[in-house]
Amino acid sequence: MKGTLKVDGKNPEATIRSLFARWLKESKLSAVLAPAYSTAGTATVALVSDPEKLSEAAPLLPAMGVNSASIVAEIAREASPNAKVGLFLRPCELRAVVELMKLKQVAPESLLLIGVDCPGTYKAAGFRNVRGKDADFDNRHVREQSGYAENVNFRTACQMCEYPKPLVFDLNVGFVGMDPDKELWIEAATDKGKALLEGVELDAQDEPQKRKQALEKLSAARKARTAARIEELDKAMMGPEKLVEYFADCLNCHNCMKVCPVCYCRECFFDSDTFQRDIAEHVRVSLRKGATRMPSETLLFHLTRMNHMMASCVQCGICEDSCPVTIGLATLFKKVSQNAQKEFDYVSGRSLDEPLPLVTFRESEFLKIGEG
Amino acid sequence: MPEAAATNPAAGVFEPKIVAFLCNWCSYAGADLAGISRIQYPPSIRVIRVPCSGRVDPFFILKALQSGADGVLVSGCHPGDCHYLTGNYVARRRFAVLNDLLEFAGIDPGRVSFSWVSAAEGERFAEVVRDVTEKVRQLGPNRKLLKEEVA
Ligand code: SF4
Ligand code: SF4
Ligand code: FES
Repeated sequence: MKGTLKVDGKNPEATIRSLFARWLKESKLSAVLAPAYSTAGTATVALVSDPEKLSEAAPLLPAMGVNSASIVAEIAREASPNAKVGLFLRPCELRAVVELMKLKQVAPESLLLIGVDCPGTYKAAGFRNVRGKDADFDNRHVREQSGYAENVNFRTACQMCEYPKPLVFDLNVGFVGMDPDKELWIEAATDKGKALLEGVELDAQDEPQKRKQALEKLSAARKARTAARIEELDKAMMGPEKLVEYFADCLNCHNCMKVCPVCYCRECFFDSDTFQRDIAEHVRVSLRKGATRMPSETLLFHLTRMNHMMASCVQCGICEDSCPVTIGLATLFKKVSQNAQKEFDYVSGRSLDEPLPLVTFRESEFLKIGEG
Repeated sequence: MPEAAATNPAAGVFEPKIVAFLCNWCSYAGADLAGISRIQYPPSIRVIRVPCSGRVDPFFILKALQSGADGVLVSGCHPGDCHYLTGNYVARRRFAVLNDLLEFAGIDPGRVSFSWVSAAEGERFAEVVRDVTEKVRQLGPNRKLLKEEVA
């Protein structure tokens, strides 16, 4: 089921809010998780269950401080099986939710995946200044579409993101390639999504050509940008010890790991005895070598983290935003995870049916390994 | 540094240290057979017995390199012969991506080798160790992951 939805008063954000209100009132949803402004004007996320409180939600808010998939895992754990929580999420957040479902961390029953186009976001930190006093900022962001591909103020990961439209969703709200002052593009991909659309007045039609073209164009521009970025990274990485240099400022705070939406173990490997050296071992090493760096294991941590995440990393770049010393993690993970996923013809979050690459295999692959 | 002289490949005396993760059901027995049959191979390997090549967490490999190993060998049952049916197939996927990561990290993938050796292949095991030792010897001592350790 798909078609255009009429936008009232040149305010697409309010139109989306009234959809939420309708679904909450009709008890099709028990709550909605969506971007929101805090009272201080910063970008955050809210779980809204009372339709009266929907003014808190800012569904088109173009700034990102967390990947909400990490919140979804918690919600899904606590939600009663009868709950129907609508997740109004960006493409990279939905892709992370899909990975978490496949990793058996999120049970899909109580959740509805409601996606929204995302042509790029600003960092949550400092966004208040970008937005200024412009109450119409969110709508302007979806209305003025010409600068998406060139915007260098978007988060690094967004500048390289080739998925402005969600890949897996029950329902999607689109605006790229549309005239969002007049109409939004609504698409239901599943029965759950279709049920939400019952009673919503759509002008049913095929996806407009200009929308398809706009999405493709943006995607192509982003791929080109990604290639250029990775080339720069590769240049920076040439020569010995370069990875050590890349992480030279790392504080070992492990923030990058804590905020990662697809990093899911409840008891972290990096906190385990397998990873942690006890202090006695440090002393032994120091006595043997004369000196040992404290804290140690920085590079081992990062290589192991890359190895753990690369099959499911959704390239959201939230790790980079969380790094207090601004290490270029977004480009690094873009490269490393893209490469790994290419090996298996896999794209994280692309489909619920594709098995996770590291729990499956084909007999007739990688035949060179072990024979060399 | 006294160790530098002993590990100078130019002097032709570099004996690499290679950590070998051997599957209990095949390669470990293959190593045993090589020993019983008195087949000669370089004394470069330090054997760690694992229940299956699928038990080898890529972290073990990174940790071995970081702890000073010059090379790592992982050896399991031939594809199709895993005692747990599919352990080595899954391991093979993990190694494939680890290889890419090592290369990216500037660690020569030649330091990490994989092989399939059955319990009956004593001679093959010796040959694998000879090959791997030679490969690592060519690469010289591994300093890469160690560097950050030094204050
Ligand atoms: S590793 Fe970084 S880019 Fe990848 S999913 Fe985690 S937070 Fe996002
Ligand atoms: S967030 Fe930055 S400083 Fe902290 S562990 Fe990660 S890379 Fe290092
Ligand atoms: S039992 Fe030998 S590789 Fe699995």
